Amino acid sequence: MLKKSTLSAFMAMILAVSMLAACNGDKNSAGQTKQEKTEQKASSANDEIKKGASQMQAINKQLLDALEAKDTAKIKALGKSINDKWLSFENAVRDRFPLLYTKVEKYEQPIFAESTMAHPDLTGMRENARNLQQALDELKTAKATAQKASELLDKAVKNYKDYVLEQADHLVEATAKFTAAVKAGDIEKAKQLYPDARVYYERIEPIAESFGDLDPKIDARIDDVDDPAKWTGFHRLEKALWKDHSLKGQAKYADQLLSDVKDLKAKIQTLKLKPEAMVAGAMELLNEAAISKVTGEEERYSHIDLVDLSANVEGSQAVYQAVIPALNEHNKALLQELDTRFRKMEEKMLTYKSNGRYIDYTKLSKDQVRELSQALSELSKSMSQTAEILG
Amino acid sequence: MSDEPKKGITRREMLKWTAAAGTGLVIGASGLAPVFNWMEQKGEARRTHENAESETVAFHGVHQAGIVTPQQTFVYLVAFDLSTDRRSEVIALLKNWTVLAEKFAKGRLEKNPGNQWLPPKDTGESLDLGPARLTVTFGFGPSFFINDGKDRYGLAAKKPKHLKDIPRMPREAIDASKSGGDVCVQVCADDKQVAFHAVRGLINEAVGKATVRWMQEGFLSVPDGKTPRNLFGFKDGTANRSLTSRSAQETHLWCGSDEPGWMRGGTYMAYRKIQMFLDVWDRSSIKDQEDTFGRKKESGAPYGKKHEHDPVDLQRMPADAHVRLARSTGQQMLRRGYSYTDGIDPKTGAINAGLLFISFQRNPDQQFIPMLRLLSDKDALNEYTKHIASAMFACPRGIKKGEYIAQALFEG
Ligand code: HEM
Ligand SMILES: [Cu+2]
Repeated sequence: MLKKSTLSAFMAMILAVSMLAACNGDKNSAGQTKQEKTEQKASSANDEIKKGASQMQAINKQLLDALEAKDTAKIKALGKSINDKWLSFENAVRDRFPLLYTKVEKYEQPIFAESTMAHPDLTGMRENARNLQQALDELKTAKATAQKASELLDKAVKNYKDYVLEQADHLVEATAKFTAAVKAGDIEKAKQLYPDARVYYERIEPIAESFGDLDPKIDARIDDVDDPAKWTGFHRLEKALWKDHSLKGQAKYADQLLSDVKDLKAKIQTLKLKPEAMVAGAMELLNEAAISKVTGEEERYSHIDLVDLSANVEGSQAVYQAVIPALNEHNKALLQELDTRFRKMEEKMLTYKSNGRYIDYTKLSKDQVRELSQALSELSKSMSQTAEILG
Repeated sequence: MSDEPKKGITRREMLKWTAAAGTGLVIGASGLAPVFNWMEQKGEARRTHENAESETVAFHGVHQAGIVTPQQTFVYLVAFDLSTDRRSEVIALLKNWTVLAEKFAKGRLEKNPGNQWLPPKDTGESLDLGPARLTVTFGFGPSFFINDGKDRYGLAAKKPKHLKDIPRMPREAIDASKSGGDVCVQVCADDKQVAFHAVRGLINEAVGKATVRWMQEGFLSVPDGKTPRNLFGFKDGTANRSLTSRSAQETHLWCGSDEPGWMRGGTYMAYRKIQMFLDVWDRSSIKDQEDTFGRKKESGAPYGKKHEHDPVDLQRMPADAHVRLARSTGQQMLRRGYSYTDGIDPKTGAINAGLLFISFQRNPDQQFIPMLRLLSDKDALNEYTKHIASAMFACPRGIKKGEYIAQALFEG
């Protein structure tokens, strides 16, 4: 997807920017009385947001206390209250302060997700709850500033790039742990660590694909390679672990994988990302999920396809969150729709978790697979419309 | 489609036919003309589209198109299950479907967005192919009104009187996953690609609101002015001739004042997917084959008579002959089925093929179900067939200009 000619992408960028500017221009030419009305409406929306943020902070404060006291029952109840509160005014926030909206979502969502688990990760929750408190502080004092269209798009790309870098960091860490276990010959431990590394890769897979040979080296399945003797990467080790039940001779693949993943990270750091590529990448992730994950083809030995699938969706969601401010200028209804669809998908995925881990792909019934495919196709139909921001 | 005349037909003849078929269709479908002549199907009409008008079946009318419309060459039958609980979303879907169906019936495509980064609105494969007499016919299944005992959209009070699933029949082997459905869309056209394009567009439109439960495709070649044949090689549809007059259609086909308003001028569609064991059939003697129906294979003449449309003398037919049994019920219906083939049976290697039996009638409880029961019990045909899917849908009256399909159901 990134192989499109640089020139046409560049031209489109210029177009996109001028179109966005035109949208803003329209808005400014509104009549005086209308403008006054709009301001009145805006100030009441601001009040609603400030009130919501304060209330949410109060609940979050209780959550921090409960986390201190390790009171799981209370933590779970408060996680839900926070989410309910947020849902009650998030639309107003998205509308007025799209950047802060994504910031709050970034911390709120994992808090809620953890709170639905039998054994929530308390350390992670504490970290997120502290950050949430800060984000809500910002929200309470936020002033709506007219953002220039070009800035919105640049900002979207920057936000997404930050996300990709963060994932690449995690990928290197998780792969280092996984490959260490492989080299130590510890099959059980390696099996435990494998999904952790896969998540970070699958979230940013399209980016890796843009570096030509790196994706095949890291992520090829046996039938993707011409010569099975030259097969390397995650799935090579997956086969050793789950099919051959032996790590003999795998050290060299482990070393290679770690070095490829580090190489990927280095390349990402110098990557110049364009908005078109970012939007296309989000679609590619959903297509991936719909073509090779929901069919159980990707992880054919370990059957952790649901891990990959949810990582693909999360990667796509990261793009969605990055483009919210820009999309807010173009199509609010679409934002609303995407918000609902991602939420629905998340809820669906939660039902496939047991003890904090996704269940084996082979445990899914035909109907469940169909249901997942359907949800993905709904998501990707809506997501394909985000290209509107490219004007 | 090619503009070259085929099968030795001159271009002039072809144009003449096309024009004749065109006017007949448009008027017939809108229900203004008292008569459409079922037998005057012009198979060649599909061979050109330089005169798009003659290839267009009127979309608006008293009755829905695709019922008394002379049969096109291809059908797609798609059953949807609604995935939304919201009445407003159902209405939105029906509105969008109506707009699309009208567009496709006129051979038009959706306009694509100017933004090249967005996916195209129209999938495009029917560009330049013309309308191909495309029709879209909508129907609602019992589960559209009441599902798991729940009045889903507050429409239970307006459920048509005779709408229910076809009850269990002897000998059948129904696959539930390929039966029933909340909404049925029948798309017919003389060009398969044109039909498919419409189906694809309607399915894409439904994403998020309805999912495809099952989909079937069929074909039927109609020789000029003659009755088409099914895969057993017999003329199928002979008896439809008795439904050509307006008054016969009012009597047997169109629902009247005993039904809720939105169904007056509508009808019920009964559907059975019937597998036909072609290999068994092809090893049967001509006599056995003809005894099965009580009609001659080549001419279609009833036993004891010379011509296809000679009056039927039931006493001359074997007691278990298909036509004798069907006629003995005293009921009539409009049969509008299509043949299907579906690869081979992986176990036996035999061809999977049969009939998508589709019939329209105003009262299935009286006209269809008793006949089906009798046939399932006694029909000589049963030796060569198996019923494998089943459904019943209520097809609303036709769409007036500016309306969406079944608007009177929601707003009446
Ligand atoms: C694979 C299954 C079937 C085949 C191959 C088949 C074939 C035929 C044929 C060849 C005829 C005689 C010509 C004609 O009038 O069209 C006929 C007549 C008829 N069939 Fe079928 N049929 C099948 C199933 C059914 C079913 C399931 C029904 C209804 C429950 C049905 C109802 C009728 C009726 C009403 C007639 C006209 C009888 C008359 O009044 O003369 N058929 N069918
Ligand atoms: Cu992958």
